[in-house]
Amino acid sequence: MYVTNYMKRSPVTARPDDTIAEVKTLMANHHFRHLPVVGENGRLLGMVTDRDVRSAYPSSVLDERHGKDELLKVGQTAICEIMSYEVVFLPAFATLDDALVLLDRHKIGALPVVDGRHQVIGIFSIRDLIRAYTILFGLGERGSALVGVKDDGRPRPLTRIVQALEEHDIHFSRLVRNKSGLSGGGAPAISIRVNTMNLRAVHQALEEVGFVIDPMRPEKL
Amino acid sequence: MPLPCLLVDHPRYQEHDTGSQHPENPSRVEAIRQRLRSGPLKDRLLVRESAPASRAQCLAVHDESYLFRLEESCLMGLTAIDHPDNQIGYDSFEVALLAAGGGIAAIDLLERGEPGAAFSLNRPPGHHAESDRALGFCLLNNVAIAARHWQSAHGRRRILILDWDAHHGNGIQNIFLNDPEVFYISIHEHPTFSFPGTGFAEENGAKAGQGLTLNIPLPPGAGDREALEALECLVAPALAAFKPQALLVAAGFDGHADDDMSGLLYSTGLYGRLGIMTKRWGQACEGRVVSILEGGYHLESLAASVEAYLLGLSDD
Repeated sequence: MYVTNYMKRSPVTARPDDTIAEVKTLMANHHFRHLPVVGENGRLLGMVTDRDVRSAYPSSVLDERHGKDELLKVGQTAICEIMSYEVVFLPAFATLDDALVLLDRHKIGALPVVDGRHQVIGIFSIRDLIRAYTILFGLGERGSALVGVKDDGRPRPLTRIVQALEEHDIHFSRLVRNKSGLSGGGAPAISIRVNTMNLRAVHQALEEVGFVIDPMRPEKL
Repeated sequence: MPLPCLLVDHPRYQEHDTGSQHPENPSRVEAIRQRLRSGPLKDRLLVRESAPASRAQCLAVHDESYLFRLEESCLMGLTAIDHPDNQIGYDSFEVALLAAGGGIAAIDLLERGEPGAAFSLNRPPGHHAESDRALGFCLLNNVAIAARHWQSAHGRRRILILDWDAHHGNGIQNIFLNDPEVFYISIHEHPTFSFPGTGFAEENGAKAGQGLTLNIPLPPGAGDREALEALECLVAPALAAFKPQALLVAAGFDGHADDDMSGLLYSTGLYGRLGIMTKRWGQACEGRVVSILEGGYHLESLAASVEAYLLGLSDD
């Protein structure tokens, strides 16, 4: 639920007076693409990305001698010249949902996570987000199946489903009500990832309380 | 002349007690027996009794600690092992050994020269059972134990396992994942929808067994047309290229349209076609084909589908 459970802890950080060459090596050695830049006491100042570094170097189309001089000069530049200062970050109490919204809104690959004193305590990437939701949704594990239920339009469908399943001791890892249907644009649909092979028992439990099972067939192509 | 139908059975299959509400219950094998005894197969039916799989035969597939745990759980009076799906009773361990022995008995009969379409009418089923745990109504992996027996007792090293139960046989896949001599092919309802959630097309073996797992997931609502397309376009060429010395079939009948345990819509006739195809494929390995019962929970369609399959397998 919280990003702190899935983030990379104590990440490698850079200082604003580190040179571009140093940061480039650091990124290459660790296969990082995002590096938080911290000042005194480890407080977050900004971020430097592999794209910032690559953009700082001259075009490889330049002639060789000219290129070599440029390379040296760029390499000795401090990263405070190329880093971004207006950074988006996650507080330590941020949820996975918060991270998803921010990563999507700002179209970035990773976010620093900071504590109450703005010290960097971790970094949270899109990869971490995918891993977290895979675990939360119970995907890729042996022992589950997906059951579709038609939304009958009567009140409190999710409450009734949960109650029916729990009364029959049927475990599930995900219950989703999709307002526009499973394939979008259709009638509302409900799907449940149940942790059992005994679908007959699941169907019976749901039918007893008046639901109709949705076979979830894809459209014929 | 049609082939005799070698049916390996045991009266104690009734004694694996799964409770009153469970889809995997003694009526399943009883419905099949009655159908086979009264229908067009009755005159070519040769019924043989299974014998319990030995400790060594089980250990070729399962961890010793799991075998102890399974036996203890039954004798202690527990009603399930590893998950409420896997109901057990006091006799379940012994019955599971008999179920694992069914495929072994069928193999030994064929290897002794008895010609026939060999079918092990066993319960509990086996293809979800892992080396160290029960899953999806399965306690011991009957097909995997049979494959190891065929290799070690009769030297048939290259074995192809064809699994057309509606569910993916995660146990068989994992046991032979790295094995260069056992090719596992499964056609099943897509893992996004269907238990146990494994068997994506991307899972194709590992290490020395890379390429020797073939998963063919079908979407919910797929029927005979989609299954036959997969069998003709994907299974047949893979089988021909592998050149197995023996063929094991994990024969589950829960893909039937009447069966509520999967979203597949196979007809009874499809199982007849499967029988005919399997017989043809078996001719490439001198008729060494053994089929072992897995799922199938709609009693009438289960019995009719087993009959259709065995007719296809044993007819001229």
